[in-house]
Amino acid sequence: MNSFAGIFRRVLSALVVVFSVASVSFFLLATLPGDPARMVAGPQARPEDLARIRKELQLDKPLVARYGLFVKKLVHLGKGAGVAAHQDCGRASPLPGGYELHFNLGKSYQHNTPVAKEIATRFPRSVGLAVAGIFVQLLIGIVLGSIAAAKKGTNVDRFITSLSSLGVSAPTFLTAVLLQYLFAHRLRWLPLDGFGDTMFAHARAIILPALTLGLYGAAYFARLVRDEMITLLSQDFVRTARAKGASRLRAFVVHGLRGALLPLATAAGLELGALASGAAVTESIFRWPGLGHLGVDAVLNRDGPMVMGVVLVAASSVVVATAAIDIFGKWLHPFARETPGN
Amino acid sequence: MSFRAALRKHRSLRWGFILVILVVVFSVVGPWLTPHDAFMSNPERAMTREFLPVGPSREYPLGADRLFRDMLARLALGGRLSLLIGVVASAIAATLGGLVGVVSGYFAGKKWTGLVDSGLMRLVDVGLSFPFLLLVMAIGAMLERTTVTSLLVTLGFTGWLGTARVVRAKTLTVRDLDYIVAARALGQRRILILWKHILPNVAGPLLVSATLSIGQMILTESVLSYLGVGISPPAPTWGAMLYEGQDSYTLAPWLLACPAMAIVSTVLGFNLVGEGLRDVLDPRG
Repeated sequence: MNSFAGIFRRVLSALVVVFSVASVSFFLLATLPGDPARMVAGPQARPEDLARIRKELQLDKPLVARYGLFVKKLVHLGKGAGVAAHQDCGRASPLPGGYELHFNLGKSYQHNTPVAKEIATRFPRSVGLAVAGIFVQLLIGIVLGSIAAAKKGTNVDRFITSLSSLGVSAPTFLTAVLLQYLFAHRLRWLPLDGFGDTMFAHARAIILPALTLGLYGAAYFARLVRDEMITLLSQDFVRTARAKGASRLRAFVVHGLRGALLPLATAAGLELGALASGAAVTESIFRWPGLGHLGVDAVLNRDGPMVMGVVLVAASSVVVATAAIDIFGKWLHPFARETPGN
Repeated sequence: MSFRAALRKHRSLRWGFILVILVVVFSVVGPWLTPHDAFMSNPERAMTREFLPVGPSREYPLGADRLFRDMLARLALGGRLSLLIGVVASAIAATLGGLVGVVSGYFAGKKWTGLVDSGLMRLVDVGLSFPFLLLVMAIGAMLERTTVTSLLVTLGFTGWLGTARVVRAKTLTVRDLDYIVAARALGQRRILILWKHILPNVAGPLLVSATLSIGQMILTESVLSYLGVGISPPAPTWGAMLYEGQDSYTLAPWLLACPAMAIVSTVLGFNLVGEGLRDVLDPRG
């Protein structure tokens, strides 16, 4: 994966995957029961209104034709802002000649608002929560994992290992409910749920969901760090470093932890890719207005275009994260970096 | 190493095994032994003066739920359902994943038949990029009413992707072993090579991944119940009971604690067994 061609091939295959996900979702969502026109018009709508909306949404056309229109609208070139035909589009990166890249996912059946815009407002919130959650995961995971590795075979190690087994076995919503009970209900330190109006309120509101995500993932990271460190610390170069007079701490941090960086970065990157589109359960419990909450709500209300939007963001972020790790991962790897042609 | 020797030597495998046995015995035998019926509401005996369900008492060892039914009986019956879902869905997923993984790994990199591998692996790529929960929820929404069968099929047919990757990787490392090349040279039929020579070699990782996935399936079931697309009532699953219990955990904490303990210990048990098996079967990796 060194050459430009390799990177190009990787990006191309990522695009193919995202496009396939979009196509599969389209046909899957088209078979969902329920009449979208009735959802838009409301349960009391007159038949002529239903017919008009069906025509507006192009539901009167055959499935294949609708698929064609969907693909054509999904990503296209547009010119200038404020043109009526492009008011539902999400815009990105101005191109030469005044063109822009537009993403049109249609309008939500439920709210009658452009899907692309809704997603654009919610995406940063989900990413924010994901980053906060991964921060907690890494912090707890690295600390506990390092302690366990340093005290390998002792009761401390066994305690940490059991704790992490327990951590991955608890459903996240159980952790969430317990945290809510302790910090919001009993101690009243933090809000029970919600998003807040000010920056300070956001920061307070993000703590509990981030902890929920963090505790679950920390269990995994703790084990990863422990296993990596134990393997690394038993290797010759660590012994050499110790023999040359490096302190135990230095050998541990510089030679051990640094070597564990690649698997850690890989795992954290994949986690970010998976969480960027929203942690469905955690966001729903804490009413965090991100993509996960949006997606769950959209599926429960059979809101096809909105589900499609969330699915596409989710698939894209997973694919981008995987591709980025493939391409950049080797720079973090102390051995692969120095061997040419690897 | 025999299984018994492994149990004696391997601490987490032993504890996991004990947990799993306890849960299985409780769920299989339990419903016959509990004095109350799991669906029988009994407000006369199971309601306090404040109209709340009674807590743990002599008559109701784990208390009663919000409809004044015996928690113990429901927990045991729910265990049957949750275990059934976990085990059968994992079995479906392991069969599919094993099949795809072996076939894909065997043909990988060959001139024409290699296309089978590329096709299957792209399918896995696409499947793994889907947001899993939304996919399962969408299928659930499509079916209008979630039954045990529909849940099994949904979880089984969406849960094989990771297993397929693991099995494929293992197949790649064993398919060019000398005796398999020899079997091929002797004209052994391809299907027999896959069945008699490759499958036994990948059985270890397959078993590990299936055991670990039982816990994941039980967790997923509980999450689906939480999100409102689980099995429709009155059938008790642990996930549904946990969901019912979480509104009133300040007044009746046993409503939350009982199913929570059940889920955590079962998932923990299967995880420990799975990890223990991995260490026993493949000490290096």
